[in-house]
Amino acid sequence: MSGVKLTNVKKMFGAHAVIKDVSLEVPKGEFGVFVGPSGCGKSTLLRMIAGLEETSGGRIEIGGRDVTEVEPAKRGVAMVFQSYALYPHLTVAENMGFSLRLSRAPRAEREEKVREAARILQLTDHLDKKPSDLSGGQRQRVAIGRAIVRQPDVFLFDEPLSNLDAELRVQMRLELTRLHRQIGATMIYVTHDQVEAMTLADDIFVLKGGHVMQAGRPLGLYDDPDNRFVAGFIGSPAMNFVDAVVTASDATGITARAEEGELHAALGGPKPAVGARVVLGIRPEHLSPVEAGGLPVTVEVAEELGGSSFVHSRSASGADIVFERRGSRDSLEGHRIRLGAPADKVFAFLPEGGRLR
Amino acid sequence: MAMIRNRTRHGLVALSLVLPFVAIFALVFAYPLFEVVRMSFTDAPLIGGGEWVGLDNYKRLFADKLFYRSLQNNGYFVLLTVVPTTVIALTIALAVNRLSGRMQALALVLFFTPYVLPVSVVTQIWAWMLDFQFGVLQPVIEFVTGKPVPVFKNPFWVMPSVAVVTIWWTNGFNVLLFLAGLRNIPTELYEAAQLDGATRAQLFRRVTWPLLWPVTALVLTLQLILQLKIFDQIYLLSEGGPFNSSYVLLLMVYREAFQLNNGGYAAAISLVLFLLIVVISVLQFQILRIGGKRK
Repeated sequence: MSGVKLTNVKKMFGAHAVIKDVSLEVPKGEFGVFVGPSGCGKSTLLRMIAGLEETSGGRIEIGGRDVTEVEPAKRGVAMVFQSYALYPHLTVAENMGFSLRLSRAPRAEREEKVREAARILQLTDHLDKKPSDLSGGQRQRVAIGRAIVRQPDVFLFDEPLSNLDAELRVQMRLELTRLHRQIGATMIYVTHDQVEAMTLADDIFVLKGGHVMQAGRPLGLYDDPDNRFVAGFIGSPAMNFVDAVVTASDATGITARAEEGELHAALGGPKPAVGARVVLGIRPEHLSPVEAGGLPVTVEVAEELGGSSFVHSRSASGADIVFERRGSRDSLEGHRIRLGAPADKVFAFLPEGGRLR
Repeated sequence: MAMIRNRTRHGLVALSLVLPFVAIFALVFAYPLFEVVRMSFTDAPLIGGGEWVGLDNYKRLFADKLFYRSLQNNGYFVLLTVVPTTVIALTIALAVNRLSGRMQALALVLFFTPYVLPVSVVTQIWAWMLDFQFGVLQPVIEFVTGKPVPVFKNPFWVMPSVAVVTIWWTNGFNVLLFLAGLRNIPTELYEAAQLDGATRAQLFRRVTWPLLWPVTALVLTLQLILQLKIFDQIYLLSEGGPFNSSYVLLLMVYREAFQLNNGGYAAAISLVLFLLIVVISVLQFQILRIGGKRK
């Protein structure tokens, strides 16, 4: 078992840089997730670790060994593809034993390993079927089984659940977590779905435009985002952002005028000058109706989830402001209310996106 | 009630849609086929009626030495073309597939160009290139054999030479079929196999070949049917000679029907050829399908 370490890794397609100087580490045995919007370079980065894309600069280490120039099969990695990449002409057992067949492993050993992987993934009854006879979830498990059989140091997953329906996705997510506990190998997982990232990861790496915007534990990113992008990307429904102008500043934080209302944000570090423009971010669960102060909004619709609801409202400038409501079920639709949040739950960002702490 | 009426109307609409095709098919395929069968039991000339002679034409055919010679030549020609052209087309397609963008298009155009030419142009090009006195390829032949050879007038050389011309002429289409087949194989399968440690040879044997098999079976079957019907190239290059060493069944049909005016006899030969092609190609396709399943 080995960790994966990238140092100043770059990838150019012609003159276009897709990965710009990425350094990160997924410690051995951990579950790392690359998450970001499409085109952020997350899949490319994964394919570079697998060796399917050449590295234009920097170093890739697996288990302390420099593998930057090593061919894919010798890196000790196995990959699960979004399209599953099963061989349609082979049975489930043959698909899973493919790598051992290639390396001419003895038949008994091959069958034993395939049986073991099939047991872990509950595929024992399907070993003689062709991939076309299986459901999407089963195919996905075969693809994972093919990786398990190789007993790799590192598992790589490239959006493996995106072709499954919602219910199956939740189920497979749990199975992956269980699998990770069971075999304890290092896993790197690519997704554009921040919910998947939050639920699966030990470490999340948020990527954008070929950069790592922030790396850390899921709740760390949620509670303490480094910048507006990460703040907006992690969490569902997304954080609310309002443009504001600083009207007062003291030792504990700032007061800013926003959307014809007023909010306080607690800041420990250097404060922006009075009159400076900032962006304030507040998560839906931290906003609640207040008597005075806060942001004046008009309530539009509520998404009822039973235990709680997400209420969409419109601010003075027309922005959609979402807040979470628990306990009370009487409709607020059409009401003009004010929404406030505790100062330590209001994040302040520079207009360029950096966080003020 | 409405439902039944609807169903009747439905049927009528369907009938009116297939009727034009059925009519044309009956006129230009079913009726002539029936006529050929009927004619093969008569001594009719090409045009006009004839006397019913029962199995006489077939008895004559199975006693005709030229029939067996032609049959043998047809078989030899199939051996010389079907598998070689398939192998060559696959090789070219694999090579072209590795090229990218414009180079690929250019290579494809180059390989496909001969297919566009009419047969008489093709045979003329090769007749010139292989001309005994002035042919540009004669030095090559001379280099291999030690002396120039009039290939279309030599019993040993004539069939292989016609086979080369045929392969050159028709190969582009097979390349196209293979290339389409290759493009249908998802890249991830190769990437997955690469991660599994497959060598280049293993990639071909374990991924490309089995996944391309349906296309290969198709190409082999199409080629078999096409090459059993060999006529134009031989008619234009050697006229069946020398000493009937390139005589084939369709040449026999042509001579009996259009030169000797033996409509009945020609009908019998073509019917035998037709049955031969049906039986062999169905048989081959079945064998290839079973072969594909076992993989």
